[in-house]
Amino acid sequence: MTETLLKVEGLKTYFYTEAGIVKAVDGVSFDVRKGETLGLVGESGSGKTVTSLSVLRIVPKPGRIVEGKIELKGENLLAKSEKEMQSIRGREIAMIFQDPSSSLVPVYTVETQLRDVLSAHEKISKDDAHKKILDLMNLVGIPEAEIRMREFPHQFSGGMKQRVAIARALALEPELLFADEPTTALDVTIQAQVLDLLEDLKKKMGMSLVMITHDMGIIAKMTSRVVVMYAGNVAEIAKTDDLYYRPRHPYTALLLAAVPRLDRKKTLSIIPGNIPNLIEPPSGCRFHPRCEFATKKCEEAPPVLEEVEPDHFVACYEWKNITLKGETGKND
Amino acid sequence: MRRLLYMIPVAIGISIIAFLTMYAAGDPIALIKAGKPNINEATLSGLRTYYGLDKPIPLQYVNWLMNILQLNFGKSLYGGLPVNQIIGPRIWPTIELQIVSLLIAFAVSIPIAVQSARKPYSKQDVAVTSFSLFGVSMPTFWFGLILIIVFSFTLGWFPSAGSQGVAGFVWWGNSFFDQIAHLILPVAVLVYVSLAQNIRLIRANMLEVLRSDYILAARASGLSERKVVYSYALRNAITPAITFLGIALGGMIAGAPMTEYVFSWPGLGRQYVTSTLNLDFPTIMGITMIITVMTLIANLIMDVLYVYIDPRVRIR
Repeated sequence: MTETLLKVEGLKTYFYTEAGIVKAVDGVSFDVRKGETLGLVGESGSGKTVTSLSVLRIVPKPGRIVEGKIELKGENLLAKSEKEMQSIRGREIAMIFQDPSSSLVPVYTVETQLRDVLSAHEKISKDDAHKKILDLMNLVGIPEAEIRMREFPHQFSGGMKQRVAIARALALEPELLFADEPTTALDVTIQAQVLDLLEDLKKKMGMSLVMITHDMGIIAKMTSRVVVMYAGNVAEIAKTDDLYYRPRHPYTALLLAAVPRLDRKKTLSIIPGNIPNLIEPPSGCRFHPRCEFATKKCEEAPPVLEEVEPDHFVACYEWKNITLKGETGKND
Repeated sequence: MRRLLYMIPVAIGISIIAFLTMYAAGDPIALIKAGKPNINEATLSGLRTYYGLDKPIPLQYVNWLMNILQLNFGKSLYGGLPVNQIIGPRIWPTIELQIVSLLIAFAVSIPIAVQSARKPYSKQDVAVTSFSLFGVSMPTFWFGLILIIVFSFTLGWFPSAGSQGVAGFVWWGNSFFDQIAHLILPVAVLVYVSLAQNIRLIRANMLEVLRSDYILAARASGLSERKVVYSYALRNAITPAITFLGIALGGMIAGAPMTEYVFSWPGLGRQYVTSTLNLDFPTIMGITMIITVMTLIANLIMDVLYVYIDPRVRIR
């Protein structure tokens, strides 16, 4: 089995708001293996982004990591000092954000912003930094890098901005990259380019990639394993193929059914109901109010992850008793 | 450059409005008559002719404008001194008072606002926000009087009036310290007021900026907290405060009429109040024009400064 790079266990991150405690991430466990692309999928508000912010320990106030274990190569990140975390951020774990037009500082040139990241981690002369930034910009495919690095973010197009953000995240060749819906804010034509770039760079640098998305298409295209999140909990973890063909959690099955397909003349199915209020989440399994298979037991205590076959975990009491329909190939 | 040309019609417009409002306020000659009931009609009409008040208002305005272009503000209706001589010596004390206050207020407000924004709703932040809310809502003359009562009359630490010691009485040994002693109380009033406004403004902006994605992204790249807060967040949060500085800079020349009045500061602000009470038209117009031109220049400077602070404003 491949080496584990990141191990998250029982992570709880709560937001202490005036309206109450928002349990955005409530007991999440998964691991990221060396060199793999892991998908983190779920509806908006399921805790995908907060999970990644927790790993970097940059959860904004009033959020706080309440409990859990986060280990990077066996080292407990929650025990690190803020100074030690600063040297880990960007150098060992980096992150790309959803909207590139708001993730770059508007008042500094691209060169300045990239240089700030470089010099935050190592002593580097202006000339050396310039050369390195030039290489980085070429690497992420920004034409006329020498001229463009002196420009400000607002002078770049959306796709180019995301390339800059990728260059910034990769500046120190991290081992683990969180990509938080990196293409959601981009034009469809640009999306494929950015995804290809990420895939390509991941291979070149041999890093692990955590792809946060709600796009099942991206999951199928890029990932080898998937973590399905629902309302701050992990519903299912499986190899991408297993998940698509043999989903075990009712929520996963519904997610798959909600993907539009050109080769089927069926109306697109939707998942009934809404994502629950995370201040007072439903008792037991958080999905039970929306689940057609829910029993009394589901309302009482939350299910834990069970291994149903090698490398396939599901948090559902009923998985043995129900048959779920997965993807059955093109000619359904 | 085009902005420079825009300033001309604006300045003329303001002068016309000021001119008309002033005439709506009353007749200065009638005021003289009220003060000296025995004055005869011949002297009054002589005064009217002497000051050109007998001519129709549009003509008066044109005459005044022609004189202004030669930097001649006319003669005061009160004592007949040229307005230039009244205004001239009062400009510096006002600028001195205002610049000292503005600089102190800005220098102090930034770190306080930043600290406050970093820990919103903490005890420190609540203290700071209440302190600044008080500063914004409190009348300056009232605060000035309290300071005079406590620190001048009761404790006797600082002088209560003027900009320097009179009749050989010098505070704190020499004339330099004497000036400082005179500055402290009025500066305290002005600093408190603009400090309060600055803190509220910068704190609010910082709170917003600190929530933005680029701050999160900067943190995620391993930048130090210091760099994130002071170089990334503050740089973005300070832009609106610069606008405020621009407005303050223009208004600065007008002085702070109330504060100057309370502390008998020999500046433009106090003169403005006195002249208005006397319906001394040429002096009022003179000071109004100085304020107008200074405000326009300050705005121009701010526009230019903006380009350096926020690259998005730059015209391509």
